[in-house]
Amino acid sequence: MLQAVKNQFNVTVKTIKYGLMREMINKTSFIMNVSFMILNNASFIIQWIVIYSLKDNVGGYSFNQVLLLWAIAASTYGFSHFIFKKSYSLSDIITNGKLDSFLVQPKNVLISAITSDIEVSALGDILYGYIVLAISGLTLTRFLLFTLFSITGAIVITDIAVLLGSLSFWFGKSDMIADTGNSLMTNFATYPDGIFKGLARILLLTIIPLGLTTYFPVWIITTFNLKLTLIVIISTIIITLFTFIIFYKGLRRYSSTNLMISKI
Amino acid sequence: MKKYLHIYKSELMSNLQYMLNIVFRLVNFLLLIFIFMNLWDYIYDNPNELINGYSKNQMIWYVIITEIIWGATDGRRYCRKISEDVKGGNIAYMMNKPYSYIGYSIASHLGETTIKTLISVIVGFAMGLFFLKDFPVLTLPAIVIVIISSILAVLINSLLVTFIGLISFIIEDSNPIFWLYSKMILVLGVLFPIEYFPGIFAQIMKYSPIYVTCYGPAKLFVDFSYSTTVEILLSQIIYLCIAWLMCHALYMKGVRKLNVTGG
Repeated sequence: MLQAVKNQFNVTVKTIKYGLMREMINKTSFIMNVSFMILNNASFIIQWIVIYSLKDNVGGYSFNQVLLLWAIAASTYGFSHFIFKKSYSLSDIITNGKLDSFLVQPKNVLISAITSDIEVSALGDILYGYIVLAISGLTLTRFLLFTLFSITGAIVITDIAVLLGSLSFWFGKSDMIADTGNSLMTNFATYPDGIFKGLARILLLTIIPLGLTTYFPVWIITTFNLKLTLIVIISTIIITLFTFIIFYKGLRRYSSTNLMISKI
Repeated sequence: MKKYLHIYKSELMSNLQYMLNIVFRLVNFLLLIFIFMNLWDYIYDNPNELINGYSKNQMIWYVIITEIIWGATDGRRYCRKISEDVKGGNIAYMMNKPYSYIGYSIASHLGETTIKTLISVIVGFAMGLFFLKDFPVLTLPAIVIVIISSILAVLINSLLVTFIGLISFIIEDSNPIFWLYSKMILVLGVLFPIEYFPGIFAQIMKYSPIYVTCYGPAKLFVDFSYSTTVEILLSQIIYLCIAWLMCHALYMKGVRKLNVTGG
């Protein structure tokens, strides 16, 4: 079991490494993708400067906390899109029969499928997250907590993408639902939860697990809370196990399309 | 012009087959309006309070209009398409056709987005009326002017995105440039009117694409006046001509250097 995990980890690392090497062949394009993504994210600081010039506190968040919210949201998104890029096109993989090539490999089908490509611009999101963390105050504890929550957050949003993509096992082409669900997560993640009231706020902290990916991490990094930290970690494990169960349940319904593709 | 109208119409008709896709793409628009309604609701302690000359309802209507105009171009997909045409060599098949590639791309892309835009208008206005229970006072000529200004804004934005996409002739992937352009428009134009920015910055923005692609039509919608109409429409016509010339020049320069491998 432990050996299988180690093998899977090695394969994933190698896939990412070769993906990165492939992307780095065109250096100009690679550097532009990463650096422009950092600038792209940074432009939103202007939005918050304007908003904080009108009010000192937005939804219970100070300017520094909003920066942290952006940092967490960006690096969570970055880690997820860099390592698990294909989870965002899982619906297409399933409906077009592209899972065949992963089924014949002696590796975990889900992990192999979603880590089979990388999104190079997502490196810019990860770097941006750490740059903003440094601006908002860098200590070793904050750095470690930030890294921990970037990883747990990335796992949770990948889980959501896989769950939405897996709907294709039952309903056929459902990429629109998956795209909508994924952008819903991204859109809400960069606004303080305090501006939302009533049902919207409850949904954001429960069914749409933005509490786990961004809001709780910001609260914990600001004022450490062990109980909340454990809730984030345990919930991430539960959601991930649930995702695996649903994917493999759906996989039983998968049928090949005899599509011939080459994987180089 | 007739051939471009034909391209536009045929793309429009083919998109009517994918209504479900259009409805799903609208969800994003609804979410953004919902987020901004909440945000401005939080910022304005009193709905009648004026911040930089705008009431809460005016600010929300401003964002609804700018979001509709911005969404009408669907720049990200459009830029990627132009960039792919150049990178993938598809442009070589279109060069010898009896139409301009730029005209074809814009007509076909706007044909694709028209239905979504019309539904966005209906849904955006319904949301505004439902939540705000208020509508800006506009006469019939004012409504016509706002519509003309909005169409010009979409055309200018489409041309500017075409220009960015065509930069792929020079650098392989022009999408990162589009990210910056889109964020400039989104953060400085879609979310806030020019009056929200300090003096010199606001003056510079008056000469930027933000003024003609977002601020202009939205300002006319929430606070109409004939004096601003002349200024905005004139700026839009000048920008439209400049953007067209820029696209044409870059395209001509690019196709001269084009190398396509394979068949």
